[in-house]
Amino acid sequence: MCPEWSTFFDEPPAADAPDAQPSDQTPLSVSALVASVKHALNEAFPRRVTVVGELSNFKHHSSGHMYFRLKDTGAAMDAAMFRARAAKLKFAPADGLEVVVEGRVDVYETRGQLQLYVERMTPRGAGALELAFRQLCDKLRAEGLFDPAAKKPIPRVPRAVGVITSPTGAALRDIRRTLQGRWPAARVYLLGTLVQGESAAEDVARALSLLDASASGLGIETIILSRGGGSLEDLWAFNEEVLARAIFACATPVISGVGHETDVTIADMVADCRAATPTAAAARAVPDAAELHQHLAALGTGLHRAVAERVRSGRKALDGVLRSAVFRDPASRLRAQMQRADELSHRMASALRGRLATAARRLSPASNRLAGLHPARLCERARASLDRTARRMAWALGDRSKRAGDRLTNLAIRMRTGHPAHRVVLARQRLAGLARQLEAMSYRSVLARGFSVTRKRRAILQSAGDVQAGDLLHTELADGTVDSRVTGAADGPGSKPPSSAGEEGHGPPTGPEEKKTVRKRRRRPGGPTLFDV
Amino acid sequence: MAEKKMTFEQAMDNLEQIVAGIEGGETSLEESIEKYAEGTELIKQCRAILDAAEKKIRLLARDEAGGLKVAGELEDDSADAPPA
Repeated sequence: MCPEWSTFFDEPPAADAPDAQPSDQTPLSVSALVASVKHALNEAFPRRVTVVGELSNFKHHSSGHMYFRLKDTGAAMDAAMFRARAAKLKFAPADGLEVVVEGRVDVYETRGQLQLYVERMTPRGAGALELAFRQLCDKLRAEGLFDPAAKKPIPRVPRAVGVITSPTGAALRDIRRTLQGRWPAARVYLLGTLVQGESAAEDVARALSLLDASASGLGIETIILSRGGGSLEDLWAFNEEVLARAIFACATPVISGVGHETDVTIADMVADCRAATPTAAAARAVPDAAELHQHLAALGTGLHRAVAERVRSGRKALDGVLRSAVFRDPASRLRAQMQRADELSHRMASALRGRLATAARRLSPASNRLAGLHPARLCERARASLDRTARRMAWALGDRSKRAGDRLTNLAIRMRTGHPAHRVVLARQRLAGLARQLEAMSYRSVLARGFSVTRKRRAILQSAGDVQAGDLLHTELADGTVDSRVTGAADGPGSKPPSSAGEEGHGPPTGPEEKKTVRKRRRRPGGPTLFDV
Repeated sequence: MAEKKMTFEQAMDNLEQIVAGIEGGETSLEESIEKYAEGTELIKQCRAILDAAEKKIRLLARDEAGGLKVAGELEDDSADAPPA
């Protein structure tokens, strides 16, 4: 124990009276006291102390300094972590977090306060890095940077591959060997970077964006991001936010192969494909030529075999055909066929004949009927019929007309006979007839006795006074007639001197009192006949 | 090199189809023989691609304009020969 401390442990003066006089020490000033305490503290705790406690009242000041309290169930003390150190913290301290801090204990003189000036802080239980890792994981996952749907497919056969890694590390050797071994045909571009340390994350991020921008120009279709194994701190650059965002923003597919199999970094989670190691990453980037060679060989064999098999089966089929009866004795089939052909031909002929006969039989009456219906015949018949009809018509017409004519004639006759004049004529005729009959009967006997009838102009001459000289007379005797001319006439039983030549035509009436109507007789050619009146 | 690269996968696909077609018996005899010739040619081309080799790694560096340029080659210090 420091000597100076002992004075604090001296028994207080026996006098317990509250107003007893203080010891005869000289009173210290506050500053002196605080300074003494500080001094003693520094002496007691010359080096840094490591303290475990819970954070509370945590404030991250805008100046960058952190102020908080560190406490446990029994006690608490104020602490501060200044900007320079605070900025290096990977994780975000928060109230309630149990931490292990390393720092110097001191007295803040102005306030007389015990202070812990923290130089390092790590979370208790999990490390700072683990906590930072978890915190960033949650944050980026929530933003969708790990989303499987956002991952781009890796080209199967890239023309060129870009590699971002340390130019001196083992990772590059592994990658190169793997690429050469599997697919030497691909061009390989290397853009070397730091792969650990404070600025590594930014360096890699920048390299990635540069390579992405130049990728299409160089024909780079896939980028391999890689580094070899190490501790969590070594690999920390690949857990940093800036790199994670750069990978997510990269348009070219990114394969990450960081550390060993068990190392999973945030870069791995954001990348389009995660490989366990740099070798695995390179293997994922290109196909295996050896494998493809074998596959090709197999295909070649398969091809050859398949075609050979086709040819063989074709040949077998051909042989089969050649061995068949057709080829051995082609004629046999032919003969059979010929015989069959003959048979069929014969049957066909007779069948045909039969059919023809039947058909002819059916045809004959029909044919006759048809002939009967031949247009010429029809015309003929029609014409005949027409003629007949015409004749009948003509006959009928003629008949009718004849009949009509007859009727007409009859009618005419009847009409004439009905005519009054005609009836008179008829009556006269009848009368004349009767008269003549009578006459004939009456005077013929007289004539026979030698009497004669003399007529002058048909009128029977009864009187000599009816004639004059020159008159023509016609005398009818029993056996004929005599025509004479009067030379003289005389009344009485004597005769009168003959008058002048007779006149034909009119004869003057003899006297006014003896008017006799003398019928005049007109001379007709042929002479008068019995019918003249 | 670029043209061959682009058709490598197509060539392999065609080849697979040809073999499958002949094996399956869908093709006539004449076709089979034609396809065989085609297939053989494809195999030859694919082999050529597989055998092509880029021996070196090209180094990139930042250029003045802020982009990248090819700035050299990394010698092959690998003792392993590519597998045949």
